Amino acid sequence: MKQENYLYSGLGERFRSEWKIYAAAFLFIIVADSIGQIKVPLGPGMLILFPIFYSIIMGILSGPQVLKFFKKKEVKAASKLVIVCICPFIAKLGINAGASIETVISAGPALLLQEFGNLGTIFLSLPIALLLGLKRESIGACHSINRETNLALMQDMFGPDSAEARGSLSVYIIGGMVGTIFFGFMATVVAATGLFHPYALGMASGVGAGIMMASATASLSAMYPAMADQISALASASETISGIDGIYMAIFVGIPLCNWLYRVLEPKLGPVHDRLFKKKES
Amino acid sequence: MRYIEWVVMFIVAGIGIALANFVGFKVDFVDSLPGIVILLVISIVSVVISKIVPFKLPVIAYCSLLGLFLACPLSPIREFVIESAGKINFTAPLTMVGAFAGISISDQLKEFARQGWKMLFIAFLVMVGTFVGSALIANVTLSLTGVI
Repeated sequence: MKQENYLYSGLGERFRSEWKIYAAAFLFIIVADSIGQIKVPLGPGMLILFPIFYSIIMGILSGPQVLKFFKKKEVKAASKLVIVCICPFIAKLGINAGASIETVISAGPALLLQEFGNLGTIFLSLPIALLLGLKRESIGACHSINRETNLALMQDMFGPDSAEARGSLSVYIIGGMVGTIFFGFMATVVAATGLFHPYALGMASGVGAGIMMASATASLSAMYPAMADQISALASASETISGIDGIYMAIFVGIPLCNWLYRVLEPKLGPVHDRLFKKKES
Repeated sequence: MRYIEWVVMFIVAGIGIALANFVGFKVDFVDSLPGIVILLVISIVSVVISKIVPFKLPVIAYCSLLGLFLACPLSPIREFVIESAGKINFTAPLTMVGAFAGISISDQLKEFARQGWKMLFIAFLVMVGTFVGSALIANVTLSLTGVI
């Protein structure tokens, strides 16, 4: 078995260097959960603010670029703690799925097929990225929702300094900063169109990004309280499948598809961009 | 991380869940306790499995599958698991996730501000496309298979 490299010499050292982060997290929880849920009608959708949004914002503010309460070292430690904390949440979702197992099984075929829907990003975003004048970075940006595994994959496949990896990193950073709140809001807007059954929306929430899935599921549950159990059961099942197949979907389908679309569309859309934008600039 | 570090970190996470459940939803620590113990035991066992099993799956995949198994009709402790976990409000475990997630991306704020409007727009389209693509296929398949 491979020897693991430990970050700390032991538990004591970990505690001594991380206790401030735990204390801050407890403080953020008290503040965020005291504020609680706020619903703001916005256009056709409903912006539902959850305590998680406030704690994300407090976390960002406490970091090295604003209040400087936390340094680089603690920033690194916190990213490990995210994984620890998301485990009990995912376990809770798994229990919801087990409790509504009939719904999950009856939705089996849909659950498996909708995984390919995650590739929908490519057809929507890649042509527009090319129209906006992006080149190879569009492949990294558009091939998937770009969470940690995808970012690592792009760096591995194209090199850390490649245009593809840069595009992936951009969407990764934007997703981290505003993705959670946007994803929840977008789910309510899509729901408000009335085109989709809440079950379908629940499944669609599982995109391989735990925190975004949580945001969409919480928003949808607030919209359809009577179906909250089924929505979270289906979201959980879909998220689990996405977590397993996501990387293979990207390697074997997403990236080849992006490359092909790029070859077909770039020669056509690139000049369109030049005509649209260059004229104004010159 | 060593097992002992995982266990202690999970206990910290458990305290965070209990705190959020109390502050946000007025559920006493004692009432939250059985549910939290179940969630933490599932998490710990998942970490052990992910370290032992030779093929690589994310830890959260095991968390989800174990949770599903313990709550499905085959499980002898099904009722207890569902009832205890039901006391933990859906969003209660998330506040702490958000706190750590926020801290962990806090050094990317300037990088975020440097992204132009084009990238921001593309990132939004990526999220919309991923979600709507799945919703579309799910909706069609659900109606074809007669579920909805």
